[in-house]
Amino acid sequence: MTKLYKVLPFLLFLTALLIWEAAARSGLWSKLLFPSLGSIAYEFGMFLVTPERLHEAWVSLYRALGGFALAAVVGIFVGMLMGRSKLVAGLLDPLFSGTYAVPKLALFPIFIFLFGIGSLSKVALVFLECLYPIVIMSYHGARSVNRVLLWSAQNMGASRGATLRRVVIPASAPFIFAGFRVAVPVAMIVVVITEMVSSADGLGYLVIYSLSSLRTDRMLAVVVAIALLGYLLDKAVVLARDRLIYWEKLDTYYV
Amino acid sequence: MGLARAGFFLSLLLLWQLLSLRGLPAYVLSPLEIIRHFGEALGSAELYEHAWASLGRSLPGFAIGTFFGALLGLAAGMARWFDRLFSPAVFVTYPVPKIVMLPIFMLWFGIGDLSKVLIIALACFYPVFINAYYGVKATPAILVWSALNMGAGHGAIFRRVVLPSAAPMIFAGMRVSLALSFIVMFAAEMINARSGLGHLIRVAENSLRFDLMYVSLLAVAILGFAGDRLVRFAQRRLLAWQEQPA
Repeated sequence: MTKLYKVLPFLLFLTALLIWEAAARSGLWSKLLFPSLGSIAYEFGMFLVTPERLHEAWVSLYRALGGFALAAVVGIFVGMLMGRSKLVAGLLDPLFSGTYAVPKLALFPIFIFLFGIGSLSKVALVFLECLYPIVIMSYHGARSVNRVLLWSAQNMGASRGATLRRVVIPASAPFIFAGFRVAVPVAMIVVVITEMVSSADGLGYLVIYSLSSLRTDRMLAVVVAIALLGYLLDKAVVLARDRLIYWEKLDTYYV
Repeated sequence: MGLARAGFFLSLLLLWQLLSLRGLPAYVLSPLEIIRHFGEALGSAELYEHAWASLGRSLPGFAIGTFFGALLGLAAGMARWFDRLFSPAVFVTYPVPKIVMLPIFMLWFGIGDLSKVLIIALACFYPVFINAYYGVKATPAILVWSALNMGAGHGAIFRRVVLPSAAPMIFAGMRVSLALSFIVMFAAEMINARSGLGHLIRVAENSLRFDLMYVSLLAVAILGFAGDRLVRFAQRRLLAWQEQPA
């Protein structure tokens, strides 16, 4: 029984792969619809050793991380400001919560005219989409700082800057990381979408390009690469959180 | 506070309008121009047709994804073997941008609406699944014990204890899913469609119809905002007995 429990997580994955391979070999569908696992693995291997394709991955990564880093800096700053000042919160909170459900992606065509069709319009859109979760979670974190901690810091003569650095930011760090956790996949989504819609480089472009040239196996290899990148970026955030916020162990996956 | 807020927004709009008097680039319209174009578009049938096509993709996708997300999330939260079998696959693929599956879905299900509805459903599945899962996990054990003690069966415990306790989390997941459904719908329509607001904005972009660009932008914004309010309204009505989060 316990042995069965250990293999259960892999069971689904293996079955999916088997079904795929069976579909590929059955000959019922064209190789275009279900390329065999071998050809996808071969294309993925080619992906890893071809400098041009690795460069596309680097382009996507740098757009995603650039926009994310900008959003992190601005988002934490704005979130802290909203958490510590009633006035700022009153002015900005309706702005953020009102436009939260609006797809910012719709601004992309306008961003193309504003910032050009290069990286800048994509980085700007990643920044805008990532800003929301980070601002909202930082604001939430800064608001929920234990009041006793603030009072004792003030009592012991901490300046405003010291209070912010030593009390408010560490206390809201778990929330900030929860925001990061939401924002990183969003950054990947936006980069891939914008590259699919309008671009001449990046992984999203490679997907569309492989599809147009009817190389489904190559396209799926790129999809695997994107999936892997998204997974690794998420793991990196979790790793950073566990190192930096070692005092708060989180056993849930999702906060 | 309300006055300061209104003043803040009005002065932002006023600044924008005043800047347009000094001359903005052609692709930045002033607020009054946007409102005028939007009013004109409301009078013609075109906008409604595209908005209707968009909703016809995003809402079924949202409904399917939410339904299966809640169903399987609740199941994974309650049954250990299903949790072991199914949850790891969901958690591993959670940070992966689901939109990359669109080209494959287009090959499998055609370039029509079906592939778009399914990709939206896939994207909407994840937040609801994860929230339903943790909603069940967060059910206070003491409630389940007392229900057991008072002789409730499995079905009654699920209906009367677990489901109400997980419901707020499920609604939180639905709000995330709804926002996602509009993003994915818009992206799918920008990539490949012959109708819908995403298609409209591409047409506007290609023919440099900036007025049309802002009209479709505003229409998507209004739909997203209205959908979010609707989910929140449903939550307040259905879960009136629960403390509402701020």
